[in-house]
Amino acid sequence: MRSLLDFIVKHSYVFLFILLETLSLVLLFGFNDRQNEAFMTSANSMSGTLFEWRTGVEHYFGLRRENTALLEENARLRSLLYELTDSQCVETERALSSEGVIAARVIDNTVRKDDNYITIDKGKRDGIAPGMGVYSPDGVVGSVMLTGNRYSVIMPVLNGSTSISCKIKGSESFGFLEWQGGDPYVAQISDMPYHSIVGIGDTIVTTGFSSVFPENIPVGKVAGVERSSNGYTLKVKVNLAIDISDLRWVYVHSRTRDDEIDGLYKQIKE
Amino acid sequence: MDSVPFTRRLLTLLLLAALQVLFLNRICLFGYVTPLFYIWMIARFDSSMSRTGILTWAFVLGLLLDLFSATPGLNAASATLLAMFQPGLVKLFVPLDRHDVIVPGFISMGGRQFVGYLLLLTLLHHTVYFILRSIPLGDWSVLALKVVFSSLLTFILMLVAERVSVSSGQKHT
Repeated sequence: MRSLLDFIVKHSYVFLFILLETLSLVLLFGFNDRQNEAFMTSANSMSGTLFEWRTGVEHYFGLRRENTALLEENARLRSLLYELTDSQCVETERALSSEGVIAARVIDNTVRKDDNYITIDKGKRDGIAPGMGVYSPDGVVGSVMLTGNRYSVIMPVLNGSTSISCKIKGSESFGFLEWQGGDPYVAQISDMPYHSIVGIGDTIVTTGFSSVFPENIPVGKVAGVERSSNGYTLKVKVNLAIDISDLRWVYVHSRTRDDEIDGLYKQIKE
Repeated sequence: MDSVPFTRRLLTLLLLAALQVLFLNRICLFGYVTPLFYIWMIARFDSSMSRTGILTWAFVLGLLLDLFSATPGLNAASATLLAMFQPGLVKLFVPLDRHDVIVPGFISMGGRQFVGYLLLLTLLHHTVYFILRSIPLGDWSVLALKVVFSSLLTFILMLVAERVSVSSGQKHT
């Protein structure tokens, strides 16, 4: 008995090791449920604060360029505004009041992993909810996946689970944009109808079908077209319009999906 | 018992964790290579430390990194495993008849032994880390690339850190 106790005391580190290792593995494999991940992702306020601080320092070095980009966008919007007639103005105002846009700053961002995530500095208390579309002046970014109180995690185009409904500008052929990993500037539409007319260099924009995104937000340009293996659809390679690695500000499209549409989808599921 | 004061160790832990989370985690050369320099802390644990102490420090370091890298348990698991083998790795490269306290380094272990120790330590940690991270395992060749080149980068960073700490130590004495 005595020697057994001695043995246990002498090798207590082995038990500690087993305990700690088990704990780690439970954490590692027990957190698979994406919805419960918020605590361990950068949506928790502690790491959010840390990343915000880092971004504050980093942004300081890009202010001049950022200013130029904002001025350019302002000029572009103004020129659009002058083209509107009075009646269109009323229409636009009405549309704008129902479709809120929230500007947010990117505080953490990866592009080189298999599944990438972006963290922004706006959360639940700013009116952000999971499922909302996110875009920048250059193009589509992704959709909100998780929201903390002050921060949110966005699933960008560069994530295996993202799928964005998009079409060729000026035509009605549409498909879903997906990312296969690897090159952060190239994604693919794999189910474009075979009869669609697609040319290299054509612009791809959002459809607005799902109301996650407004219509006609740029997605990218066609880089290549090939027939998919089943022969019925086209595979379209897309050069993305935005450089996610260089993203600093984004807009969140805060119009939630129409309750009526949601209700209909629910009925289908039931 | 501990040869390094608790507060100093805590400071090292926080500094290494901050360096890893704020800067090194964002490095991803060619889509594969990320240095995991924080294991420097585990590499430098001296031979007088209790094994439970080593395990606990490594686990806390790993968990702290996980909290800020959105990787629950990943760093904690690989760091704890490394901590389990660290004392054995030191003994592997240091003559058995030595009884004095050793902080692994160029001078205390000898250049060749230290390089061997660091390489083996890094490879062990990175292999476990990248296997756990890539589950479900897909492409073995990509996994191997990640392990080999990330290990190389971490190893180089650790050599630089050792050089800096040696030269700054000489200034003081």
